[in-house]
Amino acid sequence: MELDFSIVARFQNALALGLWTTIQLTLICIVLGCALGFLIGLARTSRSAVVRAVSSVYVEFFRGTPVLIQLFWIFFCLPLILGVELPNFASGIIALTLYMGAITSETFRASLKSVGREQLDACIALGLPRRVQVTSVILPQAVLRAIPTLLSNCVSLFKESALVSAVGIADLMFIGQNISNNTARPVEVLTIVALIYFIIAFPLARAVSLVERRILAKLAI
Amino acid sequence: MNYSFNFNAVSFEPLLKGLIVTLELTLAANAIGLTFGFLVALLIMSRIAAIRLPAMLSVEFFRCTPAIVQIVWFFYCVPMLFDVYLDSMTMGILALGLNLTAFNAEAYRAAIQAVPREQLDAGIALGLNPFQRVLYIVLPTAFRASIPVLLTNGIGIFQQSALVAIVAIQDLMYQGKSLATETYRPIETFTVVALIYFAVSFPVTQIVGYLERRRQLLMS
Repeated sequence: MELDFSIVARFQNALALGLWTTIQLTLICIVLGCALGFLIGLARTSRSAVVRAVSSVYVEFFRGTPVLIQLFWIFFCLPLILGVELPNFASGIIALTLYMGAITSETFRASLKSVGREQLDACIALGLPRRVQVTSVILPQAVLRAIPTLLSNCVSLFKESALVSAVGIADLMFIGQNISNNTARPVEVLTIVALIYFIIAFPLARAVSLVERRILAKLAI
Repeated sequence: MNYSFNFNAVSFEPLLKGLIVTLELTLAANAIGLTFGFLVALLIMSRIAAIRLPAMLSVEFFRCTPAIVQIVWFFYCVPMLFDVYLDSMTMGILALGLNLTAFNAEAYRAAIQAVPREQLDAGIALGLNPFQRVLYIVLPTAFRASIPVLLTNGIGIFQQSALVAIVAIQDLMYQGKSLATETYRPIETFTVVALIYFAVSFPVTQIVGYLERRRQLLMS
């Protein structure tokens, strides 16, 4: 068969619009998801057994089920339970935020744990108050160490965001599939869509190892 | 909330059939991913750039594009490009298997490169030839080190396999979706489907956690 990639150029505006939706969705969910993940990460180290149990169940459940079913659940079931109509975009944001919250909470938890016990002992020896221990000693180190994994979580989220096309949100994947169905040119259109995802995700993924090697090595932590 | 639950509406028979398809997909994709992943790992560590670069590029391509794009691409484009028509199950296995191959290749590579330099030096000092060093020193250590990541990737593909529902393979997700539409009971159906996925993947993640903790204890 003959390939004609110029056909994709005719739809560049539509694809750009889809990409913009994908990026918006990803950015919003990164911000909300990281905030949620940080809180959940703290909740999992809480002294109250109830808080610990609830947050663990949430994290394990969202890590243990496909994102697609989470998305479907929120899309079809949440409106029924709440009794309100949810716009597509909002249910997409809720689902991806909950997913991102679950995976980043594990990142934060691991990085909090990686701050050595001796650091806390040193804080006590220096007589630092509890608030200073947390804000000036533990948090900065924990957050720095979390950065590489957080970045790769962001890449995962960006990739998983393509799933929202299954519930009819007009993201890059959805628009790409529509164009490919209407033009009967799946090879050209879907290849370009894949390349667009790759062009964005690849530098980000590279940045992860760069941050790991350069920045963290320089800070010697 | 005035929704009355009725879990009796969920018939387990189609879900069970779907689960079997999902498990078949997962096992077959893992068989592909575990073997080819190792071969690709060897390619991306090759000293010859003409072998290394294409292998690295394809691994990165699979790792940096959404799995759903890969699956849809596979289903639409492979028949058109190569003029081969396989049944949808085989296509699904190949698409998931290739995706897993890329992720496992990275896992193997990381584990192989993490074998301490001193151990290889000791191998040289003992007079082992390069082949023996790989067979007796690198492989056993690297394989054991990579098990947790391989298991995580394997269960990841179990979850990703839900995507094949979009290209109409009748897996657990697909059966759940049709059941939800037929019975008008999305909450009950999707909850049960989610619980089934969870019931399979949770024990595996617990095993991974156990293995990792044990490793850390052994290392320290």
